[in-house]
Amino acid sequence: MSIDLNQVGAKGAIAEEADGKWGMVIDRDICTGCQACVAACAMENNIPFVEEEDAGYGRTMHWIRIERFWEGEFPEVKVNEGFQPMLCQQCGNAPCEPVCPVFATPHSQSEQINLQVYNRCVGTRYCANNCPYQVRSFNWRDYHIDPARSNEVDKQLVFPLHNQFNPDVTVRRRGVMEKCTFCIQRIHRAEDNAKSQGREVEDGEMVPACAQVCPANAITFGRIDDPESLVSQLAQQDRSVKHLEELNTLPRVTYLKEG
Amino acid sequence: MSETTILALFEDIDPAANAIEKLHEMGVKDEQINVISGVPVLERMLGRPLQDSNVPRLALGGAVAGFLFGAFLNFGTPDLYAVHVGGQALFPIPPGMIILFEMTMLFSLLATFLGVFLDSYFPNYRPLEYVPEVSDGKIAVFFKCPEGEQKDFMDALGKLGAKSVKPAEAQQL
Amino acid sequence: MAVASKYLPSAKKAHEAHHEEHDPRQHLMHDPKPRGEMNQMVMESMYTTSWKFWVVFGILSILVATCFFYAWGYMIVEGLGVAGVMRPSYWGVFLVNTVFWIGISHAGTFISAILRVFKAEFRRPFTRAAELMTTFGLIQAGASIFMHLGRVWLAYWLFPIPNERLLWPNFHSPLMWDLLAITTYVLGSTMYLFLPLIPDLAMARDRSTGWRKTFFKILSLGFRGTEGEWVHLRHAMNIFAFAIIPVMFSVHTIVSWDFAMAMRPGWSSTVFGPYFVVGALHSGMGAVAIVLYIMRGTMKHMDYFIRAEHFDALGKLMLIVSMAWAYFFFNDYLVQWYGGDKWTDTLLHWHESGPMNWMFFAMLIFNIAVPWLILWNRKWRQTGWLLAFAGLLINVGMYFERYIIIPVSLTINRMPFTWKLYFPRIEVFLTIGTFSLFLLFYMIASRLIPLVPVWEVQEGQMAHTLRKVGKTEVPSISDFE
Repeated sequence: MSIDLNQVGAKGAIAEEADGKWGMVIDRDICTGCQACVAACAMENNIPFVEEEDAGYGRTMHWIRIERFWEGEFPEVKVNEGFQPMLCQQCGNAPCEPVCPVFATPHSQSEQINLQVYNRCVGTRYCANNCPYQVRSFNWRDYHIDPARSNEVDKQLVFPLHNQFNPDVTVRRRGVMEKCTFCIQRIHRAEDNAKSQGREVEDGEMVPACAQVCPANAITFGRIDDPESLVSQLAQQDRSVKHLEELNTLPRVTYLKEG
Repeated sequence: MSETTILALFEDIDPAANAIEKLHEMGVKDEQINVISGVPVLERMLGRPLQDSNVPRLALGGAVAGFLFGAFLNFGTPDLYAVHVGGQALFPIPPGMIILFEMTMLFSLLATFLGVFLDSYFPNYRPLEYVPEVSDGKIAVFFKCPEGEQKDFMDALGKLGAKSVKPAEAQQL
Repeated sequence: MAVASKYLPSAKKAHEAHHEEHDPRQHLMHDPKPRGEMNQMVMESMYTTSWKFWVVFGILSILVATCFFYAWGYMIVEGLGVAGVMRPSYWGVFLVNTVFWIGISHAGTFISAILRVFKAEFRRPFTRAAELMTTFGLIQAGASIFMHLGRVWLAYWLFPIPNERLLWPNFHSPLMWDLLAITTYVLGSTMYLFLPLIPDLAMARDRSTGWRKTFFKILSLGFRGTEGEWVHLRHAMNIFAFAIIPVMFSVHTIVSWDFAMAMRPGWSSTVFGPYFVVGALHSGMGAVAIVLYIMRGTMKHMDYFIRAEHFDALGKLMLIVSMAWAYFFFNDYLVQWYGGDKWTDTLLHWHESGPMNWMFFAMLIFNIAVPWLILWNRKWRQTGWLLAFAGLLINVGMYFERYIIIPVSLTINRMPFTWKLYFPRIEVFLTIGTFSLFLLFYMIASRLIPLVPVWEVQEGQMAHTLRKVGKTEVPSISDFE
């Protein structure tokens, strides 16, 4: 006798939330660990560069990180399982969402991803504690106006890196939590374009910065509620796995193990 | 006949209780007698009727108000502005229990506190009949009596062990 | 053997000593003084201030100005980067302080409410001193939680106030339950502090002159002690005593749910509710012991009000609570140890053999071994400084417990690439600041309001008599409710 999860009411078993809309597939077999995605994401999303001391103390701001696993001590080091790009899984049942006291991280009903509302965040950091993937970054300081990143011109501090800011994305001050948004600014631009032309967004029409720049094409992005999309087909493969699935977070990112 | 207020000071409960009995015999009604003391002395010990208090009623009323406010916070605010989080129900019941409990208790306690103020007419800064010896543990009985019989009352109470019997003046505390 | 008999009292002598200590006339309730004299003693303890008081006051003021206000201002301007929090320990000493201070505040309610409900007469002289700990401790807890916020200037968004954005806070969040519970608790216990204080303020008003008289006159609200006023006050105090007990239990349970609701190894434990409540009582009782010892030692006439019997009773409570804490700790630990979950296993190893394992074992020694070794002996319980010392060690142990639960446990999560050890930075100064502010509040309160509820002491003394039963006199307590 099978149990219909929708009837039993298992959390998140409601069909639309279980499937999601936008999703990603990351192929760990192809990933070379070059960190181009990290750099591209930082440029696309106005992520500040953190000084050495803070970065070494666990305060890097990267929204995507390449994790490495190895055995043994140098020089007898054996790399295990390749590289692991870890980013916000945009969980269907995000544990970060219910714990924010001011609703700064609600669930987008239309895009089916987890939103971060910068101007609502008061910085309690409960969401970061509750994220099992530990992908949330907190603005511990005003890193953008760190004097170490400045030049002094006519007795004033000038920040050349501000010239490369993406005007589509907010610049965050200290005290605010941030995380990967699946480049929602690009999603919205693509959808606006498509809507003005009276059509749907085509598969592959928009990609987030990390997918765009990956030289090995390890990151694929698209509509996981469309079974014909590339992302859905890749996610069906035997090698596919979702991280920490047992926590029932319903992540939208599927990883392909080394074959 | 005009009335004066007399204040008699007693050291202990027994003389005070006897004095009140004597006052009843001499025709002074309970509503005209007032007792002030430095520790709460049970009304039954002095032969006095138990006073009614609105404080428990206000506490209950506050509890009901708090319950309704808690219900508004947990079930009303998501109705006003729905935000979906983490796959949880929009009107969550277990957190609702917590909110209801806390708000019930908060408003009940606030209402109790307010009840003391209202029932005792706090703050009361106008001149009142009082003697400072009361806060040193004495019991003061003051009552209204017709002006002419003042001396009779004073003698009677003096015989029963009053430390002092004199006309009560309303003084600034 | 001669040496042994020098140090160990003989059985007969011990028996006699036992009876002597039981002479009821040594107890406060059986040693009544005229109310006027007790009033005078309490007023004198308020007015008599030595130069030592002002030296300590000055030092604390400097500490508060620098380590509390200046350090906090600096942190607000620079950002939380000057603190030690990072990934994965996003929560650090600020939360430890918050939980610690809320824990301390629970003892006040225990003594003034639970002991009142159970009619434990020994509570009478120190209910107010304990209740002051509640109010001042909650202020420090509130300060600590505001220090923890990334954008504290927007903290008002946590309150359910109608606004133009039409937004409401998120009641799914344990932090919101925290806000409501702590607001209820701080308002409730401040009101519960104030109500029994009114008759004593009236007494102080009658015995002061000058600015003090004006101060007491305003605060005592014109209280005279009429039957009506006492009836309303008694009703209110009974309602408060009964109502604030479930509030007290709920507050620290809800604080524990900040951790239990999170899906972190070591945090997601179902026993956290009662575990934290008992932990709060544990540290709070220890703090009361310290406060009573300092009061008795530094304030005039307090040796009349606070006696060996009070330390004895407090010591017994501390022992019982310590056993309860050990029970809940073992419950939590055993289930994690037995469970075999990979991450919890790693966490337990981290606690026991990681770089902070000295804290783990110190916690066990201070919370369990110290009370169990010291508090079983009546003579030792009645010794003020020893009880206060045990209380101090218990508080250190409980601080370690919260430090282990929060930043040390946060190090181990399900993403090993992020594991990193937390070190407090400016939190050290801010912690010193909150402790200094707590002591400063206490010192100011000791000068401004009578610390002993004299009317309750007299009420108790009136109810206690010695009744002749057979050949001896036996203490007898009348119920004046």
